[in-house]
Amino acid sequence: MNIHINGKAYSLSNEVHISVSSALTLHFIEPQQSTFAVALNGDFVGKADYDTTLVKNGDSLDVLLPIQGG
Amino acid sequence: MMALNIYGQQLNSRLLIGSALYPSPQVMKQAILASGSQVVTLSLKRQNPAEKSGQQIWRYLQEVVAEVNGHLLPNTAGCKTAKEAITLAEMSREIFQTNWIKLEVIGDDYNLQPDPIELLNATEQLINDGFNVLPYCTDDLVLCQRLYDLGCQVIMPWASPIGTGKGLMNPYNLETIRLRLPDATLILDAGIGKPSDACLAMEMGYDGVLLNSAVALADNPVLMAKAFGQALQAGEQGYVAGIMEQRQTAHPSTPTLDTPFWHQN
Repeated sequence: MNIHINGKAYSLSNEVHISVSSALTLHFIEPQQSTFAVALNGDFVGKADYDTTLVKNGDSLDVLLPIQGG
Repeated sequence: MMALNIYGQQLNSRLLIGSALYPSPQVMKQAILASGSQVVTLSLKRQNPAEKSGQQIWRYLQEVVAEVNGHLLPNTAGCKTAKEAITLAEMSREIFQTNWIKLEVIGDDYNLQPDPIELLNATEQLINDGFNVLPYCTDDLVLCQRLYDLGCQVIMPWASPIGTGKGLMNPYNLETIRLRLPDATLILDAGIGKPSDACLAMEMGYDGVLLNSAVALADNPVLMAKAFGQALQAGEQGYVAGIMEQRQTAHPSTPTLDTPFWHQN
């Protein structure tokens, strides 16, 4: 299946779906070291739901971190 | 200075300050501290976790806010629909552990003017979801009334488009909003260029000012931050003291009785 994380394409040949938690390991080296929040296809996913929310073929994950703002 | 009330939080400063565009994180921290502000805005964006700069900024902001016993005010910058803004607000609430959200829903890329329809839709949904919404809006009286009617205790009309430094484009509109919404907490947001702009807003009876570029892009951001803090104090004190009515004709300040060399025309 093919998914996007922050616009970057990832191809996972042996998977039908993966959890948000698993998807995050593709993006982060150490997820626990960072402050971030997640949206799947534009919908917020709370931390409590990372293990039970599934990412499927064609899905898009946004992983956002704090930055400066006005 | 009297306390500013933002959704039940009493703040010693009436200046809300942004964290973007500074020459360095160190200058940002010094400027925020110099401003006296207890509310610092920030945002969320996609970032490569390998880049350390974002995490460094985040650490600095946490330090500053802790030092001033202040509050983070996350924004929804860059959102163009209510749906995007709501999702970003939910993500911000999880990260920053605050119900406060500076709600921005942009309707035009040229002047970054808020979309009033999407703004109202997002506001209604976010209030229903328990957020304390601080909406960034134009200086449209009816829009501000609608936001207030939805439950916004704080409303933030623009002075002029974001980052322009043009100051108060429509003083009449802003004065009218103040007059018609006497119980709302009004924060003038965006377009402030110089300390006198902030002072003028406070003289109108505004409750506070939110700015970023005017400080961050100054030659000396730390000194400018201090200047803005003082300008707000001057404006507020002027408003509280009661500004004299303008008069159409001149009136001598110095008593004319017993004026020497008096020439009767």
